[in-house]
Amino acid sequence: MARFLLRRLGFALITLFLLSIIVFATAQLLPGDIGRNILGGFADQSSVDALDHQLGVDRPVLTQYWDWITSFLHGDMGTSLQYQVPVWDLLGPSLVNSLKLAAVAFVFVVPLSILGGVLAALKHGRFTDRAITITGLSLTAVPEFVTAIVLIIIFGLVLKWLPVTATAPPGSNAATQVKYLLLPAFALVMVLFGYIARITRAGTIESLDADYTRTAYLKGLPTSTVIRRHVLRNSLLPTIAVVATQMGYLIGGLVVIEKIFNYNGIGQRIYTAAQYKDVTMLESGVLLVGIVYLVATFIADVLYTVVNPRIRHSAEE
Amino acid sequence: MDKERRRELDEYRLEQASEIENTVIDELVDGVLDRSEFIRRATMFGISASVVGAALEALGHPSLALGAPALPVAGGRLKVGIIPPPTTTDPYTYADTGGLETGSIAGEFLVRATQSLTLLPELATKWTPNKNASVWRYKLRPGVKFQSGQAFGSDDVVATFDRLTGDPKSAALSAFKGVLSKGGTKAVDNLTVDFHLDAPTASFPYLTSSTTYQAILLPKNYELGSFTKAPQGTGAYELVSYTPGVGAHYNRFPGWWGGHAALDGVDVTYYSDDAATTAALLGKTQNLIGQINFATGRPLFSNKGVQIFNAHGATHREVCMRTDLHNPLHDWRVRQAIALTLDRPAIVKTLFGKFGEPGNDSPFAPIYPSTDPSVPQRKKDLKKAKQLMAAAGHPHGFSIELTTEQTGEIPQLAQIIQRSVRAIGIKMKLTILTEAAYFGGTSTGPPLGWGNTPWLNTPMNITDWGHRAVPNVLLTAAFHSKGIWNAAHYSNKKFDRATKSFIAAIALKDQRRYAGVMQRILLHDTPVIIPYFYDFLGAGTTNVKGYKSDAQGSVYLSHTSLA
Repeated sequence: MARFLLRRLGFALITLFLLSIIVFATAQLLPGDIGRNILGGFADQSSVDALDHQLGVDRPVLTQYWDWITSFLHGDMGTSLQYQVPVWDLLGPSLVNSLKLAAVAFVFVVPLSILGGVLAALKHGRFTDRAITITGLSLTAVPEFVTAIVLIIIFGLVLKWLPVTATAPPGSNAATQVKYLLLPAFALVMVLFGYIARITRAGTIESLDADYTRTAYLKGLPTSTVIRRHVLRNSLLPTIAVVATQMGYLIGGLVVIEKIFNYNGIGQRIYTAAQYKDVTMLESGVLLVGIVYLVATFIADVLYTVVNPRIRHSAEE
Repeated sequence: MDKERRRELDEYRLEQASEIENTVIDELVDGVLDRSEFIRRATMFGISASVVGAALEALGHPSLALGAPALPVAGGRLKVGIIPPPTTTDPYTYADTGGLETGSIAGEFLVRATQSLTLLPELATKWTPNKNASVWRYKLRPGVKFQSGQAFGSDDVVATFDRLTGDPKSAALSAFKGVLSKGGTKAVDNLTVDFHLDAPTASFPYLTSSTTYQAILLPKNYELGSFTKAPQGTGAYELVSYTPGVGAHYNRFPGWWGGHAALDGVDVTYYSDDAATTAALLGKTQNLIGQINFATGRPLFSNKGVQIFNAHGATHREVCMRTDLHNPLHDWRVRQAIALTLDRPAIVKTLFGKFGEPGNDSPFAPIYPSTDPSVPQRKKDLKKAKQLMAAAGHPHGFSIELTTEQTGEIPQLAQIIQRSVRAIGIKMKLTILTEAAYFGGTSTGPPLGWGNTPWLNTPMNITDWGHRAVPNVLLTAAFHSKGIWNAAHYSNKKFDRATKSFIAAIALKDQRRYAGVMQRILLHDTPVIIPYFYDFLGAGTTNVKGYKSDAQGSVYLSHTSLA
């Protein structure tokens, strides 16, 4: 088991290293330059050149990368080219915000989706199955900005039940913060429900049809025990993988949701950094999201081995 | 007419008034200026309120209403939604709406420009030119303190204007180019400053006003990059915290020279999405939104709980056509033909409703008193357009690429132009770039002096231009043969001469004469199409009192309160 985990950790570090190179290289392809983006389209070229020089972005790309990566490895994410403040001062609070939103969304979407998927599988081919499948697919097909705006109009502006912004006033307690995060979390639930429920449904149908399930029924076990011990244990494996892969999206991919709910999440920070070619912020932001993603998939791998001993044994071999 | 007042005015003009004061009063006497234009020009030349009032009364106009405004309700914190500044910058580098909005809540200027382009004393109490408007003397307001506690004086003005005119990062260099250079600002005593100009400029006070939004007065020992770190403006509210991309907080400055500001403070939240801004105001999360767009903020315009603040201005778009390339746009007849395909009133109605007005292919907006109203307005005329195309040797049209930026309503304008020119056979390909790509590259140097940036070098493009209190910088930078923003690469010596004369002219009738010359030249040559001018729009809940939008986007809250 330890060998398995160490190997996974090694892969994760290689992935992060490659990710840092890819992001740094692609950032060079972004149009414009930071000096022009900061000073504006009407600024004198000499002013733009002077600022680029001051920021050090006129140095060779490899030198810039080397400086950044060595600082990063020493725990220093550097200074934002755009805002001239330490990157961590901006990314830290944004990451915390993103984790809060992801947590609230996670709490709703995972149980709901699994419940929906299992229910659809148990009622396979009947009205309940079709209703859950079609509703889930329809919600997934609607773009998140449409879902978000509809939720804002209904629950924020017409019914006035929930705030239209996701940022709670400074000093708010946990309950108030959750209240502010409900609308964006619901928007995410609607986006992810169909996908996760569909995967759960497929896995459950396959497990229900498996020999070991039939054997369990023939042994005379009650349905609830068969579902809990034999069906879910196997059917949830793909669901765990899907939920883990969605963590990257939930943390760093919510630019649209963050914009509409005016939420200071890491997605907006990365987006703005890309817009302004703030490479230090962009690199650090993407790597943070990458780390979260790898941690999530790592946890998924561990859960896999816990839920399914066959995987654990094969890993140990 | 009040004979006694007339006699007093005549005595003043004979014994005390300067040549410029007499010129302005003559223009009122001759009927060249109406009451509002007279007030605007009188304030520009720093003529005192008592003389302005006396002249108006003597000539039978209603006098100035100088009564004290009703006292606002005190207290409360105003929640304001504005655009995030792209960077943490110093006021003298502001080049975007978010920056100037953030700075204008805490900072002040020598002179405050109103919506009607009248100039009001702020940190300067009086400004007077010499005979040919090449030296301007400013008397500063006594007893003003910076939020850092130090006293305000002439050394601070010198330092601020030297930075504006001499620091390479100054975003006001183009505005001051050819007008004021570093070293031209000189302290006479602690409360008097002389501006020695590079060339006579009658409209110079505008350059020292809030319309040059980078000209926020800062202490002489101001440390670059520290504006958002410690309070150091002179305004009614001091900036106490700032988080890039998130928001800023301001508290009432107890030492403000203007007295006790109505609000306890201001809480700014940055919004980068129009839908979020609209929802925030409708959901009463914010009291005031600094800037809204007509196209994306439509629910606000029909909501009874929302008041719209509009500032009439000269904000516009320029459709530039390269005059120096070997393509059909080289021919003025083709450029005119393209301009004649546009149905401007319909475009304005579609894009701005009642908050815009047709342009006439010159930067002389209807708001400028100097604009010559006798120049005919260009209208859609497809018959003439087709004739011009045929005369230019393109009866069946041609293909061309129009490049522009993803900003505001510009992509929609590009599509309208694309549809309009089909009527004369032109097949137009649209290339819509991000702002970063559109303004990217170099703007000076090879191959032709304008670098390689798309916005100054593509055959045909559309660029956004903000409001200016006077059109001077547009004329010298965007239309002059050597203009640094001359995207059409246009060159006309007669136009260049008229520009120089216009800037130096003191009397309005002279300014109008030169403006007329330039407007007619541009209407004929059509290097640029200016399809419309539109208002700057803001919005607030109905309990916001005393707020007015600014045509350039400043958020001036010193006299704003909550009911």
